[in-house]
Amino acid sequence: MKRLKSMLTGAMAAVLALTAAGCSSSSEGEKQVLNIYSWADNFAPEVIEQFEQQYNVKVNYDVYGSNEEMLAKIQAGASGYDLIQPSDYMVATMIELGLLEELNKENIPNLKNIVSTFETPPFDPGNKYSIVYTWGITGIAYNKNYVKEPPTSWSDLWKDEYKDRVILLNDPREVLGMALIKNGYSNSTTNPEELEKAFQDLKTLVPNVIAFDTDNIKQKMIAEEAWIGTVWSGDAAYIYAENQNVDYVIPKEGATIWADTLAIPKGAKNKELAEKFINFLFEPEVSVKNYEAIGYSNPNEAAYPLHSEEYRSNKMIFLDPADIARAEWLVDVGDMLQEYDRYWTELKSGR
Amino acid sequence: MKDWRKKSLSSFSWLMLVFLYLPIAILILYSFNEARINAVWSGFTFKWYVNLFGNRQVQEALFNSLWVALCSSVLATVLGTAASLAMKHYSLRWQNIINGLIYLPIVIPDIMMGLSLLILFSMAQFELGKTTLILAHTTFSIPFVMVIISARLADMGKELEEAAQDLGATAWNTIRYVTLPLITPGIVAAFLMAFTLSLDDFIISFFVAGPNSTTLPLYIYGMVKRGVSPEVNALSALMIACTVILVIVAEFLQRKDSKTVI
Repeated sequence: MKRLKSMLTGAMAAVLALTAAGCSSSSEGEKQVLNIYSWADNFAPEVIEQFEQQYNVKVNYDVYGSNEEMLAKIQAGASGYDLIQPSDYMVATMIELGLLEELNKENIPNLKNIVSTFETPPFDPGNKYSIVYTWGITGIAYNKNYVKEPPTSWSDLWKDEYKDRVILLNDPREVLGMALIKNGYSNSTTNPEELEKAFQDLKTLVPNVIAFDTDNIKQKMIAEEAWIGTVWSGDAAYIYAENQNVDYVIPKEGATIWADTLAIPKGAKNKELAEKFINFLFEPEVSVKNYEAIGYSNPNEAAYPLHSEEYRSNKMIFLDPADIARAEWLVDVGDMLQEYDRYWTELKSGR
Repeated sequence: MKDWRKKSLSSFSWLMLVFLYLPIAILILYSFNEARINAVWSGFTFKWYVNLFGNRQVQEALFNSLWVALCSSVLATVLGTAASLAMKHYSLRWQNIINGLIYLPIVIPDIMMGLSLLILFSMAQFELGKTTLILAHTTFSIPFVMVIISARLADMGKELEEAAQDLGATAWNTIRYVTLPLITPGIVAAFLMAFTLSLDDFIISFFVAGPNSTTLPLYIYGMVKRGVSPEVNALSALMIACTVILVIVAEFLQRKDSKTVI
């Protein structure tokens, strides 16, 4: 017993000493550290490793599950992150709240490689605070086994034969935006009458809807529980890889485009290193490796000729410029957001 | 009649067990599924487990989890044991109130605890990271440690310590040669309990984690938002296995302990 006790005391003393040492030397010597706060699986691991070696730095990569979580952490202050990835609308919010650092373009010469569409997104025209990193368009994914005629319009979702087979995203702005576009309005309308009309239209779609589900939309399409639905282009590519019966189309009326960006939170300690990392990501060779690994659309025009044939020919990733031209960003609707939410609640509770 | 009653009771217990463990069993089962998506079963494989161990982010999260659990449970055990000894040997002025206040954190909603710690750290300009995680985990583990150690101390009674002092032992020697050896199994059980709690915690960690301190539960949560992959299942299955083993060891030590003393 005595032995056991002295062993325990010894072990505890050792661990305490280690704790103290670990706490004080957490900066890992003199190596510079880049702290990234992002979505899970948003970078190819070998790309991060390459950056670490090339610049002799250490990259810490932490993950969040929603924009709002990330906002809460940054707002609380003292978060210690150098690079974050807010989505389009969140960039606008964070600029307004003064939570983003202005980017020093001199450190990001590769910015010239970006596709011109993304030089002037409405949430941050001129890329003052943010640069588009991953992006996609919400279109229609459908299973060719059940949907015989390829859809061309959003109104195809309303067909009677798809009763209980249509899946929609679980997001008020996306779904109401879709109905608004179908009726020829802007997806970010602030006109109450237009919104009312879109809502009434959506109510007639409800009998067809099997679920409002963003997290499991891929599973439901792959398992063929859902035949047709509103799906992000990147997710469509993922579904297609698992179930080749699924195809994807951007309807003729247009669609909603979204993006996750690269941005630097106010007060970041390693701003310059973060800018170097952004620049690194936009090196054509690096971005080819990166985007083919994560399976999203590359906003880097200089990289296009270097992509593999398989990636280039995938129309869910390499979207048609004409489709991109028809797509519309969601922009802040101010106080009308409450109306969107009210209609949304009514729509979902009316099921 | 009696037979019927017994049968229905036992089938009811089985139903309860199924209700409790079926979701976990399915989760573990699908971690061996060949397909990348949970929707369909398409064959048995270990590849998700192999993938996990090749993934640097998982390795880092695992290291963070273990490190935070180790540091916080050691701190909590030392502090909690000392506090329990003090509470036993001195009667303080508002003993009952103090007792209540010490155990209160067990029932305070985690979300309140996480939020209050986050506010505290950011007011004190304390940078979020592993240190804040360790402090937070130590905080919520101490009451659990104290519950276990106090129960052990109460079981032990005062007689042995008094006898030692009668025979001329100093206060320190009494603690060292009588009290501590007697409660050692309780200390180990408390340590394992604190370790498990720290390993499993999500909500409080969610608030106080910072750069380079993503723990396994936080990482799993981030992965789920990108769609539940069999890797998530595999990781969860491993965490469940670790937890179960730790709990069994802690329980075993506590049992053995009460048998030898009484």
